Formats: sequence, C-alpha cells, structure tokens
Amino acid sequence: MKTRIIVKLDVKPPYVVKPVHFEGLRKIGLPVDLVKKYYEQGADEVIYIDIVSSLYQREILFDEIEKTANELFIPFGVGGGVKTIEDFSKLFHSGADKVAINTHAVQKNPEIINQAAEIFGSQAVVVNIEAKKWDTYYECYTDCGRIQTGKDVIEWAKEVEQRGAGEIFLQCVDADGRQRGFDIELAKQVVNSVNIPVIVASGAGKLEDIKELIEYAKPSGVAIASLLHYNKYTIKDIKEYLRNNGIEVSK
Amino acid sequence: MNGNIIGLINYGIAGNIHSIKKAIEKAGGTVKIVNNEEELNSIDKIVIPGVGSFKDAMNELEKDELLEPLKKAIKIKPTLGICLGMQILSTLGFEYGKTQGLDTIKAEVKPILVDAKVPHMGFNTIDVVKSNPLLNGLESEEFYFMHSYEMVNYTDIVSLTDYVGHKFVSSIQKDNIYGVQFHPEKSREAGIKLFQNFIEI
Repeated sequence: MKTRIIVKLDVKPPYVVKPVHFEGLRKIGLPVDLVKKYYEQGADEVIYIDIVSSLYQREILFDEIEKTANELFIPFGVGGGVKTIEDFSKLFHSGADKVAINTHAVQKNPEIINQAAEIFGSQAVVVNIEAKKWDTYYECYTDCGRIQTGKDVIEWAKEVEQRGAGEIFLQCVDADGRQRGFDIELAKQVVNSVNIPVIVASGAGKLEDIKELIEYAKPSGVAIASLLHYNKYTIKDIKEYLRNNGIEVSK
Repeated sequence: MNGNIIGLINYGIAGNIHSIKKAIEKAGGTVKIVNNEEELNSIDKIVIPGVGSFKDAMNELEKDELLEPLKKAIKIKPTLGICLGMQILSTLGFEYGKTQGLDTIKAEVKPILVDAKVPHMGFNTIDVVKSNPLLNGLESEEFYFMHSYEMVNYTDIVSLTDYVGHKFVSSIQKDNIYGVQFHPEKSREAGIKLFQNFIEI
C-alpha cells in the first residue's frame, strides 16, 4: 500500500499558523492559498485543524472551511471544536470528506464516535490524538496540548477503534513543530495496537525523518507541516526521495 | 441528443455533494441538485453520491420519498454511483444489519476481509478488465479509495483493484449504469477526466 503524504494545516482563523510545542504561533498564510500550492505539488490529502476552536469554546467557522475546500480535488479532513452530530453533518456539507474529533470525545462523550460512524460511515470519522510522553506511558491531551485527560494513548486508540473510528490522526505534544524527528516509538505502538489506518504527525525536520518513521512504524500516512510551510522541501521532493529509497507513494 | 444536465441526488445528512458538484463543474458539466421526484424528472443523467452507511442511505432515500422514483429513473437515465452510491445499487447490504438495496445490480455488499488495515484508504490503481466509456483513457491512473465494505459481484465487473493481495471490485457497468468504489471527486485530474467521460456518455 502506498504511504500517504498529507499536509497538516494548523489554523487560527483566518491564518494557518505553526505552533512550536503547540504554542508560540507563527503566521504562515491563508488556508485557501496554501491548499492550492500543496494540491499542485501533489499532496495526497489535506487535514485542517482549527487549533483554537475548542480552547475558545466558539463555533466552528464553516465559511472558512468551505472556501478552503472549493478547489481541492483530494480528500479534505477537518477538525477542531467538533461537539455534535450536527457539526459533523455541517462540515461534510462544507466540503469535508473526513471529520476529526478530539476534545469532546475524550473528555465528555466518547459515544459520539459510535453515533458518527453509524451515520457517516467509519471511513469519515477520524480521532485526533495528542500524545504526551511520560516515563512509562503516553497520555492523551486536548485543546492543543494544554489539558491533561488522564487517558492512556494506547488504551484510547483501541477504544476508538472499537467505537467505530475509521482512522487515527496521531500528534505528539513533545515533538510537534520542533522539526527534530518523529517519536517513532509512539507511532509504532499505536500502529500496532489497532487495525485501522494511523496517520502520524509531529516532527518532520528532514527527509530522513520521514523515511525512518515509515520504515520503523509503518503508518498509513505521514502528516507534514513545518517542512512544507517554510519551503524547505516540496511534496514532490519528498515523494521522489521516498521512491528512490524504495518506499511506495502515489504519483 | 437530449440535454445534458447531471442530477446529483441529495439525500440525508451525510452527503458530500459539495465536492462532487465542484468536480463535475470543473469537468465542464451542468449540475442540478435533486431533492425530490419532480427534480428527478427534470434531469438527464444521475449521480448518486455517498458518505455514510448502507443502512442509513437506504433509510434516507425512503424518507425523502426518492427510493421508488430513483429505481425507475436509473433504468432510463445514465447513472453513476460513487462509493456508497455504487454499493447501494446492489441487492443487499450488510452494514449495520441486513438492508435491501436498489437491486439494480445483482450483488451484495460485505466487509472487506484482509490481513491489513481497514478502511482501505488512499490512492490505488485500477486494473480495467473490460474496456468501457467511463474509464476510457484512465487505465493507468490512480484513484482515491476510502471504504470498509466491498461489492461482491461476478457479472458486471469492469475493473478490479488489489489491496495487499486481495482483489475487489472497483468499478461496475451494466448497460448505462456505472459504479465506482473510489472517489473520482478526490482523485485529482484523473477524477475530473472520469467525469468528462461520464458527461460524454
């Protein structure tokens, strides 16, 4: 199976920003311009996360999402501030193909995963996990790495699969935005503990990091942000490099 | 030749009609959203989208009073079912219990059984086993798949796709009725080309 190369947009409307350790935001550009750029470079998918929606407890900005989806003929995942089945439905009607949920599901109502999977199909329900490393385990965080939940990442990954989630989007609070490599142990543990696809984000700083992650943890996809946002490489460069190293990617 | 208005069936709360509409328009087509029987009568071709479960889709079609009219219309208007929209053309579906489908294609829809991650998600190739106008010129392209169920059929297959050694039906054709398991609206320029082919059918 070809490993998917996915672009992650952390959005603090109206801008795509790049947090370091989920904090210290840097403005990158407008989502609509960036998705055009990455679509043309050959991205396999885009995931758009409104990183302040849950934290500020405000409504999801559907118009922004619709504008971004308009010219995108690849899958578009959206997350941030999703609380109800109606939110899911409105996001699909705004052009999302997958909806990612974290805070509400892990803190208040995990049952929403079951409901969403039954209505929209598992393939459209993504659970976003923000993992933080402790001595012997990883803990789920929410609200952009600010709030502890007390839930073990591996247990939670298994639980969301049981509940009908179709994909896990795995971020790592310690590694995000630092460009110092992925937490490949975390990635491997999560990939091996479930039978649904796992997308791994947080940490790509050089091409070798991506190769190492794919070879070691075998995720279904890799999400990349900083490396692309700061124009260190294009998606084309990344795919060419991986192909030359014997890793299957799409055209 | 009659008109060439493509009717996109809008049913339920799960539809991803936004992206399909955009892609057909990009391919040069004229799209009309179909919400009821009257609108169904005013279009020339049908596209059945689908995000959701088999059971939910059939319930919604029934609730919107589109089920019987759609069954009739499919017989006379060129039709393209996409993903779940293809699956519900079958006789029976096994997602969340057993559900009757539109019964246009003699097939059943069952969970994908493979020793690999499910849903099957991502770009994959198609192996065209019977040439047909819809896939013309697209034989070596990649398309985006996103599904946990597959159509089991032996008579109307036009392409197969391999997922870690497991071959499943990725497109079907019966007369003027077509179905694709993948998402052309999410498959870059190859998908736009597929819609162009459908417009020209």
